[in-house]
Amino acid sequence: MAEHLIHSEQEGWALATVMARRAVGPAAVGAALELELRDEPVAVSNGAIRAIGTGPGAWLVIDTEPDHGFADALQDRLEGLASVSDQSSGYAVFRLSGAGARTALQRGAAIDFHPDVFAPGSVATTAIAHIGAIVWQVDDSPTYDVAVFRSLSGSFRHWLEETAAAL
Amino acid sequence: MRLPCPYCGDRDAQEFSYRGDAGPRRPEGEDGLFDYVYLRDNPAGPIRELWYHANGCRNWIVVTRDTRTHEVHGSSLARESGA
Repeated sequence: MAEHLIHSEQEGWALATVMARRAVGPAAVGAALELELRDEPVAVSNGAIRAIGTGPGAWLVIDTEPDHGFADALQDRLEGLASVSDQSSGYAVFRLSGAGARTALQRGAAIDFHPDVFAPGSVATTAIAHIGAIVWQVDDSPTYDVAVFRSLSGSFRHWLEETAAAL
Repeated sequence: MRLPCPYCGDRDAQEFSYRGDAGPRRPEGEDGLFDYVYLRDNPAGPIRELWYHANGCRNWIVVTRDTRTHEVHGSSLARESGA
């Protein structure tokens, strides 16, 4: 029986990787961004920007309604604390929702997406169909966002459409 | 085989690149360089090994693994364990 899967590509988002300098902890980086950052694979938001934990001292910071010069402004706020690299054109972000979204991800990644262990705010950096992917859960409907390197987004969309057709 | 990444949690070994024994230290001069580059012990039992979590948090980790059973006794970030 076909399960419902809706997918779309996010447009107009600004993304940047933030990597803490040596001996700078997540609390100091978080204080500069008004976010409660921890060294854990979780997503946190303050209403304006969102930080996706991708590694110790490393985050993907997202503004869904960015002003011009998002990464430069981020760099100014993190002067001496962290390195900032604009990834707005580096990553493509796909949104997966609907009853089939969890099943589709389960078929692509060797990650436990059961709601007991992967809930809204959970993040996994992994590979889907050999494509490096950052997956985070947005809400428990469930909705997920998946960031992949933009040059591989065509291949990722191909996997997504093939998987959706087989649900 | 699944490896426990200190940041990401248990992950399939295919997400990692294997580097080998975490023990050898590069010598300051040329003395001992041959041993450092080429000579490795082949222990039957627990060994600390370097793995790179390429398809994950992109960190080097040290995993303690028993070569006889593949039982994994734990892991830590390489930068925190001085490897």
